[in-house]
Amino acid sequence: MNIVVAIKHIPSIADDLPVKGNNVDFDSVDFVLNEWDEHSIEQAVLIKEAVGGTVTVIGVDLIGELDNALHLALAKGADKVAKITADDPAADSHTQAKWLAEAVKGMGADMVFAGVQASNDIDGQIGAMIAAYLDMPYIGGTSAIEVSGSAATVSKEFPGGVGMKYSITLPFVAGVQSAPKPPRYAPVSKVRQMAQTATVEKIAPTGEASSGLAFKKMAPPVATGHAEMIEGSSKEVAAKIVELLKSKGLA
Amino acid sequence: MLTTIEKIIFIILALTSAGFTFHGFKVIIDSIRRGRPAPELKNVPLSLVKAAITVLFQRTIFKARKGLSAIHMGLFFGLITYAFVNLFDALEGLVPGFDLIYGGKHIPNAPTGLVNAFNLIADVMSIFLLIAITVFFARRFIAKDKALNYRENVLLNPKVKAGGQARDSLIVDVFVVMHVIAHVLSQAYRLTDGADPFMPFASFLNSIFGASQTGVHVAWWVSIGWVMFIIPYLSRSKHTHFFMSPINLGLAKQNPRGQLDPAIPLTMIEGQKFDPGAKHIHDLSWKRVLDSYACVQCNRCQDVCPANFYGRPLSPSALEVNKRYLLKDATFGSHPDRLLLPLTETVISPEAVWSCTTCYACVRVCPVGNEPMADIVDIRRRMLIDGYEIDSGVQNALQSLATNGNWMSKGKRLRGRWAKEMQFPVKNATEEPVEHLWFVGDTASFDERVIPNTKLVAQLFHQGGLDFGILYQSESNAGNDVRRVGEEGLFEQLVEQNMEAFGKAQFKQIVTTDPHSFNTLKNEYPQFGGTFEVKHYTVTLLKLIEEGKLTVKNKLANYKVTFHDPCYLGRYNGGFTAPRKLLELLGVEFVEMPRNCENSFCCGAGGGQIWMGKVAPGERPAENRIKEALSTFGEGAGDKTQLFIVTCPKDMIMYSDAVKTTGNEGRIEVRDIIQLVAEAVGVDEVVAAESISA
Ligand SMILES: Cc1cc2nc3c(=O)[nH]c(=O)nc-3n(C[C@H](O)[C@H](O)[C@H](O)COP(=O)(O)OP(=O)(O)OC[C@H]3O[C@@H](n4cnc5c(N)ncnc54)[C@H](O)[C@@H]3O)c2cc1C
Ligand code: SF4
Ligand code: SF4
Repeated sequence: MNIVVAIKHIPSIADDLPVKGNNVDFDSVDFVLNEWDEHSIEQAVLIKEAVGGTVTVIGVDLIGELDNALHLALAKGADKVAKITADDPAADSHTQAKWLAEAVKGMGADMVFAGVQASNDIDGQIGAMIAAYLDMPYIGGTSAIEVSGSAATVSKEFPGGVGMKYSITLPFVAGVQSAPKPPRYAPVSKVRQMAQTATVEKIAPTGEASSGLAFKKMAPPVATGHAEMIEGSSKEVAAKIVELLKSKGLA
Repeated sequence: MLTTIEKIIFIILALTSAGFTFHGFKVIIDSIRRGRPAPELKNVPLSLVKAAITVLFQRTIFKARKGLSAIHMGLFFGLITYAFVNLFDALEGLVPGFDLIYGGKHIPNAPTGLVNAFNLIADVMSIFLLIAITVFFARRFIAKDKALNYRENVLLNPKVKAGGQARDSLIVDVFVVMHVIAHVLSQAYRLTDGADPFMPFASFLNSIFGASQTGVHVAWWVSIGWVMFIIPYLSRSKHTHFFMSPINLGLAKQNPRGQLDPAIPLTMIEGQKFDPGAKHIHDLSWKRVLDSYACVQCNRCQDVCPANFYGRPLSPSALEVNKRYLLKDATFGSHPDRLLLPLTETVISPEAVWSCTTCYACVRVCPVGNEPMADIVDIRRRMLIDGYEIDSGVQNALQSLATNGNWMSKGKRLRGRWAKEMQFPVKNATEEPVEHLWFVGDTASFDERVIPNTKLVAQLFHQGGLDFGILYQSESNAGNDVRRVGEEGLFEQLVEQNMEAFGKAQFKQIVTTDPHSFNTLKNEYPQFGGTFEVKHYTVTLLKLIEEGKLTVKNKLANYKVTFHDPCYLGRYNGGFTAPRKLLELLGVEFVEMPRNCENSFCCGAGGGQIWMGKVAPGERPAENRIKEALSTFGEGAGDKTQLFIVTCPKDMIMYSDAVKTTGNEGRIEVRDIIQLVAEAVGVDEVVAAESISA
């Protein structure tokens, strides 16, 4: 079983997001791994542990700092890692999907996983676009993938507690919403050991694509109103709430 | 006295008994030696002598249960006396004419006074022993003291569950009673010339049973025969502690309490590769294996364990007892394979492993120098390496610590934000030299509930003319709790980051707000090259006041306060006096809670517990502590405000919560000591108004 996982580096929002011009100030922001990618790595490693195979993790290196995320993936159980040396922090998801598809093409993947979306652009398209470029079927929003032979059973969860299981023939591309188990913790000693011993394959970006979109303006949202906090002891607060309800004709 | 045939039987029996005893102790020593190397001990003979003195005066058992301890002391002296009694009994049997009765008058040139004194002591001790054994027997089998039980949810070896400990106790109880009675009888039967005033008990029995040569022989054989049986039996029972506890005390931890043993032994053994921490029992250091043989199975550690109090499935004594039974099954029994079962299946449940607050109370109270907490940390270490699924809250905290250097998922650059809101510039110690490098810590830097207090500390340092600075974004979590959660690699990474920051700074000493940071900076950073003077802010504040740099303007007589010793300041590092001295200088009415100083009760936050996503049901330690404070205050505070004083940012959060959840708002208020100092000293307007109201 040959599983390729595409991961994405995105600006961290642990700090206040610095804005420069009409985009993020990429020079003064830390980059972190997209949250959903932790799930797609976990999903891939779980399949490998169940049926064997290799997991290759690949990402676009936007600012030359992707290695950390790749070492982390290795510590969690990935076998090989590769990075597309783009050095373009503003590359949009269409462009990244094209580069990834070109790099994955020769890897003979049975499955390609991407996180279902990334919180920097909430575009949710990279997985689907890779599928299109590779001419493979795509299934998004997965909550569990089980492989047996050349077919997979994919679970999805819908609002209202409804679940659905799909049968799908390999190869395919999946947008992983969540792994069936919480992503495992990689102890730092293992990550550091990987950092010392692992080799990261470097791939030059090939191909071109564009979403045709341009950033117009980026700014923190302006608050238009505030919730009123009722101060005082619990008795006073309760009295005020009753008063309010009465004044609105609700009690 | 003995006939030749009896002598031959005696010698055969003695040799057999010695053989079994030798075998018993060889098995134990081999088992201990299979443990991993432990940190090197210095001057072992001296510590062994010290331990012998400690044992002689039974010093360590008086840390708890004073009444029972006194009786144990009687038992102990009784048994020591009986070691000599048995020696002389054997001589009386083997050496013709050797007889201690009537001041040893049958022995030529016997020192009569000495013999009489010995006879009297032995006779009185016999009575003492019988009383002591009766008390202990009654405690276990009649009063059924609950302290000897374990919670339902605690993992227990099946043999312990089936009452193995009670059986052991019963055998030894019966032995002591039979042995003592038989010995005294053997003396009583000898008294052919009536009462010996130095042997009142024996004389009393003599007045009932009279003198009899057959009696002497029978009683002698019962008395000595028991000894032949019991000595090899001891090596196979919980009473191995007779021999192992003194040794264990002599080999007890010499490093500071706040310094954990390394995850991988520093002493390498050629050709042997160690994984961090412990999965199997012999992954533990030999000292942790020895602990289980030294354990008295007294449950004192369980009594003081906050996790056990909280109803969690953790009992430090069950851990030691289970280790012991596991080893017994494997070495004396027929289950050597069980040594290869994970400790999490045989000695402590995973849930229990993750309930420990690393408060050190169990280690502190243990009369024989055991360290159950060290086992727990070692087991955590291996569980993390082996990919055990940990609590999601802990995982999030660790991941954030690895990327952001703090557990709160806050960006590094936000760490010093509170300082920018001060009315004076707070120096960046990486940019200009300072005298005091203030290591602020995560909670005090980021938590909105605590930041007002952080600002007060800064303000008072400033008013007191202290030359101080902080590291801003270069500070990382000090790693104390990271290490105690078992994430040794992350701990090392954090140490490296901080050491790099310290390297960029120029300072004379470090002052911390958080007792946890204080502990690791003081006790563990030296191993990584960080040898600096580290102080807790209570000490620094006290100094500022004592040197007159801050003056108490308003005495706070309107407060009735009690003080909670944080584990990592108090029990770990002995920081008991500075906070109490401060409170005294502030003029508050101070009352001490029953559990204070060394015996303080953990708030429940340490060892990573504050990160836990899941909160278990039951009365939490912090809630219990608030109740303890209230009952200490009693009813008569009058118009004084009752305050619960803390000196740890985590305590501020834990106890403020606990006051709310126990419905005691209005009766007691939680305050950091800095708030009182600020009120008494008076702080310059602007910041004070903002901080106190925030
Ligand atoms: C990664 C990801 C994250 C998302 N997160 C959120 C979220 O946080 N909150 C949320 O509310 N939604 C979310 N969505 C759902 C999203 O907002 C819309 O539901 C989605 O765009 C609908 O497209 P579809 O491809 O899922 O459905 P489709 O069924 O392909 O498309 C539905 C739409 O197509 C059009 N259409 C389809 N058939 C016809 C027809 N016969 N005639 C005319 N028009 C037709 C209609 O406009 C219809 O609304 C998310 C989707 C993704 C992929
Ligand atoms: S360190 Fe504290 S919480 Fe942990 S086992 Fe010992 S007493 Fe219990
Ligand atoms: S570990 Fe110490 S305190 Fe706990 S039961 Fe054993 S001897 Fe008693």
